[in-house]
Amino acid sequence: MDTLATTLDAVCLASEMILESGGETYRAEDTVERMCQGLGIPKVDVLALPTGLMLTLTLEDDSSISRIVRVHSRSIDLGRMDQCNDISRRVASGQMSAEEALRALREIKRPRKEHRFLLIAASALSAASFTVMLGGSWLDFAVSFFCGALVQLVLPPLAQMRVPPVISSMFAGALTTLMALVGRMFFPAVTIEPIISGAIMPLLSGWAVTNAMRDTIRGDLVSGGARVIEAILSVMMLAAGIGLVLSAWGGIRV
Amino acid sequence: MSWWIQLLSCAVAAAAFSVLMHQPWKTIPVSALIAAAGYGVFLLLGKSTTGYFWATLVIGICCEICARVMKRTATLFVTGAIIPLVPGVGLYNTMLYVVRGDYYQAVNTGAATLLGIAGIALAITLSTVLFSAFHPRKKKAKPC
Repeated sequence: MDTLATTLDAVCLASEMILESGGETYRAEDTVERMCQGLGIPKVDVLALPTGLMLTLTLEDDSSISRIVRVHSRSIDLGRMDQCNDISRRVASGQMSAEEALRALREIKRPRKEHRFLLIAASALSAASFTVMLGGSWLDFAVSFFCGALVQLVLPPLAQMRVPPVISSMFAGALTTLMALVGRMFFPAVTIEPIISGAIMPLLSGWAVTNAMRDTIRGDLVSGGARVIEAILSVMMLAAGIGLVLSAWGGIRV
Repeated sequence: MSWWIQLLSCAVAAAAFSVLMHQPWKTIPVSALIAAAGYGVFLLLGKSTTGYFWATLVIGICCEICARVMKRTATLFVTGAIIPLVPGVGLYNTMLYVVRGDYYQAVNTGAATLLGIAGIALAITLSTVLFSAFHPRKKKAKPC
């Protein structure tokens, strides 16, 4: 028999992890409701925001228990979100008890072995392929490859130093532009436009806009609006980074 | 630039981006294919502003179908598939005009870029709503 504390822990952990890995807020709320249904909690009220989570479980004897969870860091980790989803689905269908779910969720939460090299390679290949897609030559491909690798090399340490994400996105824009301009200094045949546009594509938060729209449409106006602001801010900072470096690169011979 | 190089690089880029987002391995090829299909539609429509809308609609519908077939959430597929459509060129050119002091062109390009993003958002919303309205295994209609 699951104790109430275990149930609450499992439910909170699951939805907290979904929010942390960039899931939509309605998904976090759905998870709580579905898990509680599976665990036999008669009534649950939950409000999820991108930055936190509040929930109240009401039991059969009309006693209730509440908890607030603050979500500090948000990044995108679709794999983790998928795993949480899977567990919550199993709990909802009664295949898993709260205690098993809690154990499984803690297992997921543990920082896994980061394949740093894989991520750097993925970032580089992504940036470089976008450059070719936007009409870059193979020389541009090479320069953009370095841009993508460098950005992925620099961003995680910045995140560890608790630099706000909007600032690091400005930094990434500046870095990309600088790399492209330096690249052209050495190889005059390099075209700047596809390199910068391609290399910033992985940084543009297309997912943020889509998630924001999904939240807004579901009626979660607060989290939808908050996410729109987050997306706009991050794009503007990225653009600022590009613009600052472009204008600083003497006399603009772009 | 021949079209197949663009589509191929688009698929590779989307796949690499999906790896970056820690997408489950099984879903990555699907995501890349949908991305290429969507970008193909975008190219066919001549990279116009409305092209963003139609291409995203195709992507959204494909993703929802794949989500139903593979029993995963559509978000997994959409994140990788949508990324080639994000208007990076528009953003860069807007900044370039701002830096040059050509504000007329900057506003022009910026507005077109924003419209593109709005089209993407609208289409993704439509496809989601379309499919959540006709969900075959929906338990009960939840007021939202």
